[in-house]
Amino acid sequence: MKQTSKKMNLIVGWILFILSIGVFFLQIGFLFFHERLQFEYIDNRLFYVFNMIFVICLFIAILLLLNLEKKWKVFGAVVVLIFMIPNITMIFQTNKEIKNIISVSPNFQHVLSLKENTKTGETYYYRSYFGILGRPKEKLPFQTNDRFKVDWLTDDIAAVTYKAKDKTVHQYIGTYGDRGTGISYYYVAAQIYGVWEGENARITNETEGLSVTVNGKTEIYKWDQVVQFGTLAIVLMKNNEAVWTIALNKDFNVEAAEKGETPGTILLYKATMGKTEPILLKRISSSM
Amino acid sequence: MVIFHLQFLNIFFKYNAELEEVLPLKKFVITISLVMVIGLLLGIFFYNQTPNQALPDIDPQPEEQSIDETPTQPEQIQGIYLNEQIGYSLQNDRLQITFDKGKNWITVPIEKDQLFAGEYNGNKQELIDHSYLLTENRTAFLYAEEPSWDNETIRILYTLDQGKTWMNSVVTEHYMGVRFRKVGFVDDQFGYIIISGGRTMSQEGSNVFLTFDGGQSWQETNNSGVSRLIADGGFVDAKIGFLSFGTINPEAPELYVTQDGGNTWKQATVNIPSEYANIFVQAETPFIEDDHLAVFVNQGPNGDYKGGLVKGKFISTDKGNTWVFSMEVSPDEANK
Repeated sequence: MKQTSKKMNLIVGWILFILSIGVFFLQIGFLFFHERLQFEYIDNRLFYVFNMIFVICLFIAILLLLNLEKKWKVFGAVVVLIFMIPNITMIFQTNKEIKNIISVSPNFQHVLSLKENTKTGETYYYRSYFGILGRPKEKLPFQTNDRFKVDWLTDDIAAVTYKAKDKTVHQYIGTYGDRGTGISYYYVAAQIYGVWEGENARITNETEGLSVTVNGKTEIYKWDQVVQFGTLAIVLMKNNEAVWTIALNKDFNVEAAEKGETPGTILLYKATMGKTEPILLKRISSSM
Repeated sequence: MVIFHLQFLNIFFKYNAELEEVLPLKKFVITISLVMVIGLLLGIFFYNQTPNQALPDIDPQPEEQSIDETPTQPEQIQGIYLNEQIGYSLQNDRLQITFDKGKNWITVPIEKDQLFAGEYNGNKQELIDHSYLLTENRTAFLYAEEPSWDNETIRILYTLDQGKTWMNSVVTEHYMGVRFRKVGFVDDQFGYIIISGGRTMSQEGSNVFLTFDGGQSWQETNNSGVSRLIADGGFVDAKIGFLSFGTINPEAPELYVTQDGGNTWKQATVNIPSEYANIFVQAETPFIEDDHLAVFVNQGPNGDYKGGLVKGKFISTDKGNTWVFSMEVSPDEANK
């Protein structure tokens, strides 16, 4: 029994030791290459979290592998503590300066990452790589005000609603997929031609622009008020504020739309900081 | 094979069970651990020293100063440079210009908001394209005073001695909601200003003003009569000028030409080869090239031919009346 437990300790000890070596090389690799390759952790706090994982794994591994005297165990614990304190401090400190906004898609395939410089209100959108690394893709066009709301409209469309410093509401859409072949660009507004209807909502694609009727109130958004994100969503603007997002739902098929067949459904999502659900719309007519 | 593995594991664990007695392995674990801990501590130290662990520099524009931020120290001005020496900054809600790579900054006597007056929804961290000139010999800024949106006075503020003295002249009064704005000078004396305003849906009025005295006084030319949204325009000399229309989903270039300094305007004929129909749709400002005129026709906001940035070059040998296709040009060549 004692022999088995000792064996188990050794297995766990070696696993943790190898894990700590792995984390060490991850961190060192990050430190050496992040500037050259222009990537960062998708959340700046991950750097410090990995440091803590490293030191905890290493400490437990040493306890399990080596039969240390008590004074060395205490010494080890003190080293761990010394190592942990600045890391914990930095986790809070770094998030005060650079606020990280992270949201994982419902199917755990994508990570939306935003980093906001809390002093200047500059916010950058990051593309994620391997789940933990990210590269800045673009800067949000308006200075932000520390308030963000992230909703995943589908598994590959994340709608970020935020208030700019001038109190106007804006939306940024992170898109992680495609509804076509994936090799060509297409215009979302052109794909959703015809008339679409959902619960108390109707969208008509007209020559001048898109007409949106919700609860009997109709507004027309001209083409120059339509901003496309990726190939999955458009944001409708009015008076320099986002009003609606129209997204191609998961079942939307661009090839079918181009052939004149029923393309699937679309989602209409209101730009508001309050709680709101996307409205599902189906095409009822392919002409205006 | 399996038996071999099991035997190997047994030997491994037997060896390991006595790890505390096996000095080299114990030393190995401790040495590696110490190296890693020290290495990572140093790593953390240097990482925290690096200033750019903050946010990237995708868009190196100066940001507007927020109201509640009071700088306690003189701030470094982040300029937007047009060439190695000349640049401007809108930092701290002030327009400042430099002619010596940022060593000295000259404050332009103008309110920042006046530079963005009228119908403008873009960012206010950079000046509106074409609405200013910034060269060693002439610096000019188009702006609007607006007691109300439908009663703007369009003015130009300019200096010929790098900001030592400033002159100000009225271009037009009682203007409504200026949208497009462009100022250009062909030589020391002759210059033009093209503005548009009063936009309703996709219609607006556009106006051309010329100066023959270096900017002191401006006279409006006859109107082209076109109410589409203007995309670009300009003069190649005091007689020949152009206006290009169509900003939203243009289908073909709509270029108007004057050959008598703006007295009369007529639509130029741009002969688009059939293979480029609906591809090259928006004319830019023509320019003189050798003994003829040339113009780049771009793909408009929605073009996707060869990535959307390739332009068509067209040539005119009859002072801009008719244009024939010359070649495709890459964006790099077009910007030369």
